[in-house]
Amino acid sequence: MTALGTPIQGVTLYSFTRAFHGREYDLEALIRKVAAEGFGPGLEIIGFSSFRGFPTIEPAFADWFRGLVDELGLVTTSLAVNADIGIHRDRLLTQPELIEYMSRQIEAAAALGFPIARVQISLTPDSMEQLVPIAEKHGVTLALEVHADQYASHPRILALRDRYEKIGSPLLGFTMDWGATTVGFAPSAIEAYRRRGASEELLTEVVDLWNTFYQQGPPADQAEHGQRFGAFIGLAARHGRPDFGIDFGINGTGLFGPARVDDWLEIMPWIRHVHGKFFGIDEQGEEPSVPVRDLIRLLVENGYSGAVSSEYEGWHWNYWQSPFDIIRGEQAVQRSAAADAGSRMITDAAEARAILSTHLGQLQR
Amino acid sequence: MIPDRIIEQGTLTTAGDRASVEVRIPWYRALPGSCIAGAGLTIDGVSAPAESLRWRMNGREFTFDELATNVDEWWFPLDSAVLSGEIALTDAAEHEVGVDLTIYIPYIIISDTETLHIEEHDTKTMKAVSA
Repeated sequence: MTALGTPIQGVTLYSFTRAFHGREYDLEALIRKVAAEGFGPGLEIIGFSSFRGFPTIEPAFADWFRGLVDELGLVTTSLAVNADIGIHRDRLLTQPELIEYMSRQIEAAAALGFPIARVQISLTPDSMEQLVPIAEKHGVTLALEVHADQYASHPRILALRDRYEKIGSPLLGFTMDWGATTVGFAPSAIEAYRRRGASEELLTEVVDLWNTFYQQGPPADQAEHGQRFGAFIGLAARHGRPDFGIDFGINGTGLFGPARVDDWLEIMPWIRHVHGKFFGIDEQGEEPSVPVRDLIRLLVENGYSGAVSSEYEGWHWNYWQSPFDIIRGEQAVQRSAAADAGSRMITDAAEARAILSTHLGQLQR
Repeated sequence: MIPDRIIEQGTLTTAGDRASVEVRIPWYRALPGSCIAGAGLTIDGVSAPAESLRWRMNGREFTFDELATNVDEWWFPLDSAVLSGEIALTDAAEHEVGVDLTIYIPYIIISDTETLHIEEHDTKTMKAVSA
């Protein structure tokens, strides 16, 4: 039997995008807030969001950043990097350009002390294989994010998994994003549409349409994904609110993925990092659209002892609640779920550092 | 994302026959000039001619043709860019400012040849100041 896992509690600064973008907290103040609130020890940051001039990282800045993280008792987990294949308007990056583009960001992850670089689906199995020497040079694990509208058993993900198996590098893996396995259209998103004047009939039909897709399971291919996107647009148009169509489609297919929790078993041994994606906490203190308790139990029972970055994404539409209160609520659910599964979340920094190093199979930094 | 943040309140400025307003990125991460695909500036229902539009960020001014090929200058999420164009203001105390933005999302590839783009709009009412 697999020993129970002890996931590491943490957060991504992405959860606080609205506060950072609104200049309520600068980077240092936000990191200090995370530490003071006890949202760590795990700390994840998106390079292009938080670091001016990224992926260029000056040595003095790296020293300052590492010093701040140490001072506050936080543990850097994942640096989220981007595969900007479409950065030139008239063409996609060539393969050598893409490898160079990713290499600079992987180097930045190492400079800043992040043991993981979260990479994205537009990297093919060939690209991942080509990046192995770069990952080895810098000692950084590459964890490709499995995000709705993909899911663990999606053919593109299985192709990556099969290539990982063939390559056999401990530095290749996945980031599990809980948004692939949700159980409902987030009620806070529905409330936001209501506040923008959507009728109750329209909102009921949006939820019903999503529930129909949930019953059918995740889309088999891009064509079916496109059909579902189109169905949300059509629904909005029929109700005389075409302005909501794209938003329904993006959220209904790209944020609220309809795969089942046990779908993650397809890639479980390769999960190196987790985005604890969620959208809100209800009056009962639970997440109504993401099965946080089932997901934590799945991780614990399968021996996962890596980091879980709480990733609050309700900020897109929820301007009336504090993201800090919402993160506090979601992390309480995670800790409770880990205890219910016979384990616990790691909240001590020293313990987190040791467990993360073991989980990643890397030398302790 | 956050289109309600595009126009910075109170930044409408006139200089000669041009008007400008400060704008914020309606997205969570920095994007290079090449991803800032287009803008529109409308004041009191009158749109600035497209060829007169200019974009200032990081201390440099660009035409939109120049932005299209620029992957060196980035619009950071905390920074205000300045959108300006030829447009004559009335003497009204308050002006309704409208800004349209077309932004490419360079990591979301939706077909072999197409990158996702988003079109965002913001409208705010404010006084104008002379530069």
